[in-house]
Amino acid sequence: MTDDPTGGDRSSTEPLLEVEDLVVEFATSDGVVRAVDGLSWSVSAGETLAVVGESGSGKSVSSLAVMGLLQTPPARIVRGSVRFRGTDLLSLPRAEHRRYCGDHVAMVFQDALAALNPVYTVGFQLTEALVARTGTSRREARRRAVELLDLVRVPNAAQRVRDYPHQFSGGMRQRVMIAMALALDPQVLIADEPTTALDVTVQAQIMTLLAEIQAERQMALVLITHDLGVVASVADRVTVMYAGRAVEQAPVLDAFTRPAHPYTAALLRSVPRLEALPGEDEDAELAVIPGRPPELVALPPGCSFHPRCQRSVAGCRVDPGPALRLVAPGRRAACHLAEEQLADPPVPVAAPAPAEEVRGG
Amino acid sequence: MGRYVARRLLQGLLTLFLVMVLLHLLTTAAIQLNGNPALAFFGDRVPTAAQLQAVSERYGLGDACYNQLGNPCVGPFLDRLAAYATGDFGTDLRGREVTEIVAVAAPNTLRLFAVVGLTWLVVGMTLGSLAARYRGRAADHGIRAGSILVDAFPVFVMLLVYKFVVTVPMSTWARDTFGAESLPALLFRPSFSPDHPWATVLVPGVLLGLAGSAAFIRLVRAAQLENYNAEHVRTARSKGLGERHVTLFHIVRNSSIPVVTAIGFVFAEALAGAVVTEGLMNVYGMGGVLWSAVRDSDVSVVVGIVTLLAVVTVVVMIVVDLLYAALDPRIRFD
Repeated sequence: MTDDPTGGDRSSTEPLLEVEDLVVEFATSDGVVRAVDGLSWSVSAGETLAVVGESGSGKSVSSLAVMGLLQTPPARIVRGSVRFRGTDLLSLPRAEHRRYCGDHVAMVFQDALAALNPVYTVGFQLTEALVARTGTSRREARRRAVELLDLVRVPNAAQRVRDYPHQFSGGMRQRVMIAMALALDPQVLIADEPTTALDVTVQAQIMTLLAEIQAERQMALVLITHDLGVVASVADRVTVMYAGRAVEQAPVLDAFTRPAHPYTAALLRSVPRLEALPGEDEDAELAVIPGRPPELVALPPGCSFHPRCQRSVAGCRVDPGPALRLVAPGRRAACHLAEEQLADPPVPVAAPAPAEEVRGG
Repeated sequence: MGRYVARRLLQGLLTLFLVMVLLHLLTTAAIQLNGNPALAFFGDRVPTAAQLQAVSERYGLGDACYNQLGNPCVGPFLDRLAAYATGDFGTDLRGREVTEIVAVAAPNTLRLFAVVGLTWLVVGMTLGSLAARYRGRAADHGIRAGSILVDAFPVFVMLLVYKFVVTVPMSTWARDTFGAESLPALLFRPSFSPDHPWATVLVPGVLLGLAGSAAFIRLVRAAQLENYNAEHVRTARSKGLGERHVTLFHIVRNSSIPVVTAIGFVFAEALAGAVVTEGLMNVYGMGGVLWSAVRDSDVSVVVGIVTLLAVVTVVVMIVVDLLYAALDPRIRFD
C-alpha cells in the first residue's frame, strides 16, 4: 500500500468544527497540569475523525472543552479556539456556549447507564431539551420520542419510551443515548468512547448504527476512542494523542499501514492479531509499549514519548520537543524521526477488524 | 404494590408486638427491682397487706408476679393486649383515662413537631443547597462549621441556655415594652402556656429544628454534590439545558432520594428531642407526659404512650419506604 493522495485529503470541503491550539490546564494538589497542549483538529460535514489515545492523553478533556462542559475550576482553558462555522464558542459566555452546542453539536457519552438520569423515563429525557427550548406539547414530544427511538432501531419504541434507563440492555441504552444526541438535529456529533462499556458483538452494532446515521445525515462525527479496530472500520482521518498533544494526524489508512510516529507504530503493534505478521514468530508474545504513560505533572523533557520510544536518540531528550509538522502530503507528525519511521516496511492492512467479521481461528 | 404494602404492614405489626413485649419486660423488671409504686402512695405510713393489695389493684399491679424478680408476668401482659384490643388503654395512677390524656397532650406535640419539621426542612434544604452550590468557598465552609458547632451542642444545653439566660430578660423587656399579651412577650415566655399553644411553642420548636437540621444540612450538601458532578448532569448540560433547569430537574430532584430516607431517622430523633424539650419547657405534650409518667412509675401511661409512639414511628417508616420507591423508579416492589 502506498500513500493515496486522494484518500489523504477528504477535508477539501469547508470544516464545520475546528479546534485550534487548544490548551487546557487543571489545578491539582501537585501543581498545574496541562491536560491538553496545543491540540488542533477539524472535521467537515460527512466526515469521521477519530481521536485516539491512551487514558489520560487528553482526548476526553478536549471534547468536554469543545462542549463547554469542563468544570472550571479546577479546569482552565488557557488559550485556543473552538469554531463552529466560524463562531468561536470559547469566546461566548458559558451558558450561551452550551445553548449553542445544544443546537449544533451533540455528544454521546461512554457509559449510558451513568449518563442517563435514572429517575426519568427515556421518553422524557429524549425530548427534554426540545420541550425546554420550544415548549413542544407533551403529545408532540411523545411522538417525537418514539420517532427518535425508531430511528436508532429500538424495537417496540412506542412502549419503550415509557421505560426507565435501567430497564434497557447495555446496547439498547447506548442507542437511546445516540437518539438523545440526535434529538435537536445536530450537525456535529462527538462520540466519547461510545462502545467501550459494551460487549464486543454489541459494539459492532452500535458502530454500524453510528456510521449509518452519520452517512444518512451527512453529519460530522468525532469519534473519541482507544479502540484501533473501531477506528480502522469507520474513521476517515485519525488524530493520535499522547500526553495532551496530537502526535500524528493522517488519513486512517495511511496511519495504519505506514505510521509516521513511533507511538502510532507501537500502538498498532500492540493490537492482538489472529495471524502473525510475515517474518514474525507465530508464538511471539503480544508486543506492548514498555513503561507507562507519563505523569502529566512531571513530563520528561523534549518529546514526552522518548522514554518509551524504540527509536529515541539523544536529540529527542532536548527541549523543545518536536512540533507537529507536515511529513508527507496530508500527514502531520510530531517526531524528529518521522521520515525514518515512514521508511519502515509498511504494516499489512491492520488486523483490527470490526467485531462482526471476527471468525474463529 | 398492594402485596408490598401488606407485607410492610405485617412487618410493622410484628415490630409493634416486639416493642410491646420489650416494654412490658422492662417495666416489669423495673417494678420488681424498685418495689411496687403502690408503696409510694402511702408515703411514710406502713400499709397493711390488704391496703397495699387494694392500691396495687387500682394501679393495675395486683398480680403477685410483680413481686417475683425474674417473673415475666405473662398473664398481665396478655390481659393488657386484650384490653388494648377492645380500645381500653387503662388509666393513670389518678384514675384518668390514658386516651383522654393523649387527646389533650397530642395536639401540643403535633404543634411542636410542625414547627420542628418546617424549620428542619427549610433550614436544611436551603443551607445544604447553598453549601453545595458554593462548595469550597467561604459560604460552604461557614455553613459546615456552623452545622458542626450546632451538632456538638446538645439540645438540652441549648434549651437550658435559652430558658435561663435568654427568656427571662427578653420576656421581661417585651412585656414592659409591648404588654403581657403581646406576641413578643409570648414568644419568649420561659414556659409553655396552653392558652397560647402556637406562640409559646415556636422558639423551642425552632431551636429543636435547628439542632436536627445540622446533620441534615450536611446530608443535603453531600447528596447534591454527588449529583453536581454526576455524569447524567453533564449529559443534561450537553443538551444545552439552562443551569436552572439542570439544577432543579437533575440535581435537586435526584438528591431528594437520600434526603427522603433521612426523614425517617430525623423523625425518630425529633421524638427524642421532643421529650427533652417538652420536659424543659413544661409543654403538656406526649414527651412531657411520658417524662413525668416514667418519673412516677405510672406503668399504664408509659406503656400506652410508648406503644402509640411506636405505632406512629412504624407508620412513618412505611410511608418513607413508599415515598422512596415513588421517587426512585429503580426500586421495585416484590
